[in-house]
Amino acid sequence: MAEKQPPTVVEGATTGDVEDEIPVAKSAEDRKAAAALSSLDAPREDDSAGLKDVDQEAVRKAMDRLTMAGGGATNGTATKKEEEKKVVKKVVKVDQADVALLIEELELSKIKATDLLKSHDGMVEDALRSFVAPVV
Amino acid sequence: MPVVLSGKEQSLFRTVVRNYEDKQYKKGIKAAEQILKKNPKHGDTLAMKALCMNSQGKTEEAFALAKVALTCDMKSHVCWHVYGLLWRAVKNFEEAIKAYKFALRLEPESVQIQRDLALLQVQMRDYQGYLVSRRAMLAARSTIRQSWTALAVAQHLSGDLAQAEGVLTSYEETLKNPPSKTDFENSEAVMYKNSLIAEQGDYQRALEHLESAGKHNLDRLAVFELRATYLTKLDRTEEATKAYRALIDRNSEYKTYYDGLIKAMGVAPTDHKAMIAVYDEYAEKYPRCDAARRLPLDFLEGDDFKAAADKYINRMLDKGVPSTFANLKHLYSSDFKKEVLPSLVQQYIDSGKSEKSEEPKRNGDTSKGASAAFYFLAQHYNYYLSRDLDKAMDFIDKAIELEPKSVDFHMTKARIWKHYGNTQKASEIMELARTLDTRDRHINTKAAKYQLRNNESEAALKTMGMFTRAETVGGPLADLHDMQCVWFLTEDGQSYARQGKTGLALKRFTSIFNIFDVWQEDQFDFHSFSLRKGQIRAYVDMIRWEDQLREHPFYSRAALSAIEVYIKIADKPLLNGSNGTAGLSEEDAAEQRKAAKKARKEAQKAEREALAKKNEPNKSTREGDNDPKKKDDDPEGIKLAATTEPMNDAMKFLTPLLQFSPKNIDVQLAGFEVFIRRKKYVLALKCLLAAAALDREHSKVHSQSIRFKLALDKELDTINPKTAEVIKSEFNLIPASVPLAKFNDEYLSKHKDCARRTLSGLTTRRLLSPDASPSVEKDIVDILKFPTVTSEEATEAYEVLKSWKSSEVDTFKSSATQTWPKATIFA
Repeated sequence: MAEKQPPTVVEGATTGDVEDEIPVAKSAEDRKAAAALSSLDAPREDDSAGLKDVDQEAVRKAMDRLTMAGGGATNGTATKKEEEKKVVKKVVKVDQADVALLIEELELSKIKATDLLKSHDGMVEDALRSFVAPVV
Repeated sequence: MPVVLSGKEQSLFRTVVRNYEDKQYKKGIKAAEQILKKNPKHGDTLAMKALCMNSQGKTEEAFALAKVALTCDMKSHVCWHVYGLLWRAVKNFEEAIKAYKFALRLEPESVQIQRDLALLQVQMRDYQGYLVSRRAMLAARSTIRQSWTALAVAQHLSGDLAQAEGVLTSYEETLKNPPSKTDFENSEAVMYKNSLIAEQGDYQRALEHLESAGKHNLDRLAVFELRATYLTKLDRTEEATKAYRALIDRNSEYKTYYDGLIKAMGVAPTDHKAMIAVYDEYAEKYPRCDAARRLPLDFLEGDDFKAAADKYINRMLDKGVPSTFANLKHLYSSDFKKEVLPSLVQQYIDSGKSEKSEEPKRNGDTSKGASAAFYFLAQHYNYYLSRDLDKAMDFIDKAIELEPKSVDFHMTKARIWKHYGNTQKASEIMELARTLDTRDRHINTKAAKYQLRNNESEAALKTMGMFTRAETVGGPLADLHDMQCVWFLTEDGQSYARQGKTGLALKRFTSIFNIFDVWQEDQFDFHSFSLRKGQIRAYVDMIRWEDQLREHPFYSRAALSAIEVYIKIADKPLLNGSNGTAGLSEEDAAEQRKAAKKARKEAQKAEREALAKKNEPNKSTREGDNDPKKKDDDPEGIKLAATTEPMNDAMKFLTPLLQFSPKNIDVQLAGFEVFIRRKKYVLALKCLLAAAALDREHSKVHSQSIRFKLALDKELDTINPKTAEVIKSEFNLIPASVPLAKFNDEYLSKHKDCARRTLSGLTTRRLLSPDASPSVEKDIVDILKFPTVTSEEATEAYEVLKSWKSSEVDTFKSSATQTWPKATIFA
């Protein structure tokens, strides 16, 4: 069962895109036609419902509000990454030898080992102690 | 520079894509090669060819080709997309995400790549990334409800409930007309929004929303239930009571409704009088209702209990309900109730009432009155809290005398034999029970299980084969794998482990591990499917369930068994070395290898034949079915058993156990065994401390503590000084001032009545001073004289003696056989 899965799964998850890949794949010149084709294709599933009941103007407004709230959809990746880094980066300096020790003894990934060490202000003994202590 | 194709070749390329889509991989590759003849460096074509090859099972070649494609045209999103798909197919989702992201950078407008990326992100639980993707997808298709719902789900999963609710509201506000009442998608979305409000803890608003938006919801039961819950939470007693009463009128057998009603009425859990009044009311209202009669037995005590139980038991036995005991055994945690129940049944028999009620026997309703009462008592004396196997056997024979054809009765008889420790007799009787109703799948699986317990692997498979699909390639075993029959694989594996067939045992346990992988993988399709169908609540439930998947006892049981086998493999070379039998085991290994080779060849042959057969009628269209990956190159598990790093292999099973079942003491104990062998002392200590926190006096916690101390004293120099310092200060299970031998003696005298702990203390004594072995072995034989010793404990002691090749084995055996004359396990 396990081994039988992959091909079917790939197909299942991507039939849509392979269909649509046809026009896209035609390289540069045909892109316009391709775009038209895929836009025909895209909202196909429930296009009718969408056009009938949805107030286009209201959708546009809702989208604007959302974009403001969400901090921009397109550059979201970049901002999010920066934010994450900021959170993690406390002003704790860690000794790489200690990190290596934690990786060796506790079989953690480097990232997790560093985080553990940082959350104990770089004190490797404290990090080990808290790791060993049983969770109640 | 990317090659540009001519018009004719472009259409050919489209054919390739279509062929791939239709799973005609051979044709696709042919067409691709035609293009490549003229344009050997066309990246997109190379990539598509790679994709087709991958689907044929040529993974490595596909990867190589995809890389060539990328070097030819590294700015092609098709090449990157294909590269992602290949990683995705081998389940390396992280690499796949990277490739998709790159493809998306080259072609930001591609809906398909964006969708594939999003699905992978949620599969990997990268909620931040998923949010970004869903935002982009919403921007691309903002008129579709699905896009909005999907974003809400993303926000919900990443923990932002208020935002999620806001997104759903935003969409609702864009609608010109309210959706029709029969719009299922809308109906589900409303309930989903309601659950979001409730999850924020704002029950007042949730109730209002439910009563306005949810008024005509299609899921009426959910609306009723939620309303009752919210009203209770808001202390609106009268309405809540009414709501629960309405629910009980819908379904008077559901315990939760009674609990809700009593809570809503404000009845204290100690106020039995008020509670019984509620139940009595419904017992009267619904004469056929069981719950209202059974539930009060949970809380009633003393004479009240006696009276209620008497009524209940009479009613059930008169009807001859086979599940009477199963329905009442939960009460056995109370010693009083454990005494009362069988005495009531005995009274029932003595009163002769059973004879009278035998009169109105109706069509086929056989096991009534007396036989039902005997059956109850047989189960009572077979139950572990009230076990007296001889009495149990007596009663079941009486019951069988009355109903010689009863499957249930014979099943219980087999179970009694099992508890006697006689697996053979148990298996025989269960097989007899099976023949009484050959079309019943339940008794069929029971018979197979008992055969496995008696190590009759082949017979068990044959029994199972009566209910598997006949046409499955590879026979019943393959079908049981396909059907993910975990219980069978577990029992089969454990049976092989008992027989010392390490390879096959590991094979089965690994199969179970893989089945859990498949279940993890299975959710993939639902990320899109559930949204399309609009079943969001069920989808969120599923995601949460998947996150805890390996908590399941199915997993821990198989994984612990696998680890046990691996530990045996790890310890074996040592044993062989000391006994000088290494040469013999090598011969064994050679023999095994030969057998494996033969088996492999046969399996391949069978596979080929089966495929050939399958292909003939519809050769060209069903290429996708000839999945070459399905071929198993190690059907006997020889490779698994031949591992040189058993402890590393065990880690695969152990890591999820420690993550998901940390409160299972067996898991922590197994973790210690693995880590101490791998010389990972901090990790071993963590497991040991966790086990001690769960049960300080556990027999294995004791022996492991001493073993840890011994290992520590021996290896202290090799441990990093910082680590050693921490270990010394944190290892508090044995006071440093007490010598180990004394510590062990204290443990022994403290638990001198417990067979299992004594066994642990004795084996530890032998470990501390090997000279004491003869006296230890004698002491182990004496464990049999303990008044409370069970046959399971005796088996453990027996195994210990056998593993030492002790001279006391025979003495132990004859003595144990006297204590348990019916058992086969000491034979």
